Amino acid sequence: MSLLVCKSVSKRFGGIRALNGVSTSIEEHEILGLVGPNGSGKSTLINVLSGLYTADDGEAQFGDLDLLRLAPEKIAAAGVARTFQIPRPFDTMTVRENVSVSYMFGHRRHSLEAARDAASEWLAFTGLEAAADSPVDQLTLHQLKFLELARALATDPTLLLLDEVLAGLNPTEIEQSIEMIRKIHERGITLVIVEHLLRVVTSLSDRIVVLDQGSVIAAGDPTEVMADPAVVAAYLGGRAPDARGA
Amino acid sequence: MTTRNKTLIGFAIAAVVLGLVPNVVDVLNAPGFYLTFMFTMFFWISQASSWNILTGYSGYFSFGQGAWFGIGVYTTGILAAKNGWPFLVALPVAGLVGGAAGLLLGLVVFRLRRLSGEIFALTTLAVSFVLASVARLTSLIDGGRGIFMTGTPLPEFLGDFRTSMYRMTLVIALLTVLTAYLIFESRLGWGLFSIRDDEQVARGLGVPTFRYKMIALGTNAFFGALMGGVWALQIGFITVEDVFNIRVPLLVILMAVLGGMRHWMGPVVGAAIIYTLTDRLNSAGLADLNQVIIGALLIVLVLGVREGIYLRIRARWVASAVIFFGAMAVLTVFDVTSSLIWDFSYALLITMVMLLIPTPLWERLTPRRIAEPPGDPPPELPVPSGKAST
Amino acid sequence: MDVDLLAQAVVSGVLIGGLYAMMSIGLSLSWGALKIINLAHFTFILIGAYLTYQLTTSFGIDPFLMIVIVFPLFFVAGALLQLFFEWAKVDEFRSLLISFGLFIIFTSLVRTVWTADFRRISSEDNPYASASIFVFGVALQVPLIAAFIAAVVIAVGTSLALSRTHFGRAVRAVVQDAEMARAFGIDPRRVAVILSGLATAYSGLAGVFIAMFQVLSPTMTFAWFGIVFSVVILGGLGSPYGALGAGIIVGVVGGVATVVWGPLSAPLVTFLLLIAALLFRPAGLFRRSTA
Repeated sequence: MSLLVCKSVSKRFGGIRALNGVSTSIEEHEILGLVGPNGSGKSTLINVLSGLYTADDGEAQFGDLDLLRLAPEKIAAAGVARTFQIPRPFDTMTVRENVSVSYMFGHRRHSLEAARDAASEWLAFTGLEAAADSPVDQLTLHQLKFLELARALATDPTLLLLDEVLAGLNPTEIEQSIEMIRKIHERGITLVIVEHLLRVVTSLSDRIVVLDQGSVIAAGDPTEVMADPAVVAAYLGGRAPDARGA
Repeated sequence: MTTRNKTLIGFAIAAVVLGLVPNVVDVLNAPGFYLTFMFTMFFWISQASSWNILTGYSGYFSFGQGAWFGIGVYTTGILAAKNGWPFLVALPVAGLVGGAAGLLLGLVVFRLRRLSGEIFALTTLAVSFVLASVARLTSLIDGGRGIFMTGTPLPEFLGDFRTSMYRMTLVIALLTVLTAYLIFESRLGWGLFSIRDDEQVARGLGVPTFRYKMIALGTNAFFGALMGGVWALQIGFITVEDVFNIRVPLLVILMAVLGGMRHWMGPVVGAAIIYTLTDRLNSAGLADLNQVIIGALLIVLVLGVREGIYLRIRARWVASAVIFFGAMAVLTVFDVTSSLIWDFSYALLITMVMLLIPTPLWERLTPRRIAEPPGDPPPELPVPSGKAST
Repeated sequence: MDVDLLAQAVVSGVLIGGLYAMMSIGLSLSWGALKIINLAHFTFILIGAYLTYQLTTSFGIDPFLMIVIVFPLFFVAGALLQLFFEWAKVDEFRSLLISFGLFIIFTSLVRTVWTADFRRISSEDNPYASASIFVFGVALQVPLIAAFIAAVVIAVGTSLALSRTHFGRAVRAVVQDAEMARAFGIDPRRVAVILSGLATAYSGLAGVFIAMFQVLSPTMTFAWFGIVFSVVILGGLGSPYGALGAGIIVGVVGGVATVVWGPLSAPLVTFLLLIAALLFRPAGLFRRSTA
């Protein structure tokens, strides 16, 4: 069953069509890989679905709700969470407080007391308990990315949009992150992952959607899609696939 | 016992002790200016704390405190002095009118898609000027003639004028600080802190940012106007120039910045220090020097004590207590100055000097254990003190 | 409605608009290009005015000669101030608070030196105060004409300097990306210091013209807040032409409002204009809002 159905989602910035009528669906409990060359509209789609940008046209049916017509806080309350490629922690709070706040709001409302315990749970899940009471500026990039995950998970989402969780990490950290993504998926959360490292996406995803210049050019089984001539052409025309390796 | 209950008991004790001060002054036959000194301090504590609920918590910098204050002054002025309403009926109306004005402003500015913090700050500044012009132009409000508050009758049970002022300002100040504390320790508070740190992310995590900002602005305006309503009595003759000037927003900003905007106690401490300092400098006939010192203090504090004095006091509480009470004891026992207020201000100044020592230097000067307050466990959720407090 | 009176209001509004522009360009540049909301500019104007009053009164210097004294003096002061800001590494918010502190200090220094009494250059030392030129029956005050011309020169000169010269390119590079500018051999600090010097010098000049026809008092800065911020916001941050245009609009609107509704309405109308601009054109009247 489809969890989210996007129909001709469009977004323009001035004269540039960042999303040009994107139609696709996300199935329940799957990991959907969202790939495409730089500037193909992957991050814009995440930003539109999470309410950060207002779409110009289209709809994104999530249950009875159209995400494109909802304010970001309503989208979070509906059970959709996201992470940022460049981590954006609340920088006057400790690691624990970051996660607590997220739990207090998020999908359901919770009290301060409940938030404290829940935060510990998510910090343990993401392996951040040792740093729980540190200010966020003492964390490494890897830890900050995991804090993004912990904070998104604390909102108790059914759908989680991950924007380049692996970017900037070293091979060991990438391995750990892949492990973490699998663990999150095992909890029954549907995932959309935007990623540059194609080898990682193809191995993680159940299905792949390829965007190029704001349009879907292919979708389906990872290995088949990546062999699609249109996809290869899009990548060769843009940027060599998997340039950085995994 | 939880920290929250401890703090609430602290409020109750403060209310009882401070509430008895007029009786003590009466019994000891002490001079009445002690009461004036204290109720003026309550006025500033309330103004600074209410301002901090918006600006300290949510990060939206406001120059508009003068507007809320002025709305309060003119509301009781018009209702009680011009139209003969009983003062205690006019007073809550003043608060409500202020709160409504705050919400109206919020309704307009917080709906803007691309509202930057600087634009918000300047809009609040502009609002005070607009209100001043409206008051000056409208004969129903002021019309350039001013309003006499002297002779407005106050209920008997409040006591004489000074005692009435003391009791009313005390109640409002306690309510303001209590509200600031309750918000600080609530989901609303944490929602506001997250708005301060990154509003986009906060919304994405489900914080109802518009509603929360409205509540913060409305609360700020309500208490600003409520205290303004009482202050109309102290002003006596209300004029546009005395009410809508830069003094209230200026001092309120200074107090909160000095005390620390990230904690509910910050503005309380800041207001007590700044008010005492200005009051003493003025009474020593150094009004101009006073301004220079305040300006310099603002610069030094913005650069040097970013987390505010209150968190410094917490980090160095043993040294602070020893120096402050030691100085008070020495000054009073040897009767160095003419009054308790002078003793208090000198003790404050001496303590301040210690608090201004930069943290790295301080840590080298003191053994480690003094820096950590024993017997003061971190609150349920530690204060959002951030990197600066460590 | 008296048409002559209205014409007079419009023409004087345009002229005083030039003065408003000169008072605002410094703050606008500092805010737009240096990211410092420098409230001390109000006191620079004030000190410029008092200095003009003092030197003309004590030594009988021609007020117009003060231009060549004030400009370099304030340039140096502004450069030094920028060095301080660079040293303190302040962000926009802190700059607001710190310059607020400077504003308080300078204001009380002015009050200490010159007291709170009203000051005015005597007519012997300042023959221009009462001089007017009549054009088609409309009286134009000489100091205002001079201020207007100076404002146009400053706006055009600064604009040309920013768009045509090497220094201007350096400024724009630094505003866009200081790190990148550094990579191209531009010293962002030097650029900022020069720009701050210019901005401060402009404010000082505004003070010279104010001293020529107004009565001075230490609290006159409060009345300027609304006007200057209106001009800065309406004109768009960092835009000299914008400031000139917005200054003229604020001057004319204020002048017409004075004739139609009385003198007290001028600030009200100005601020309503400002609020409307903040709500609907936050990037300024003369610039297309970037989406």
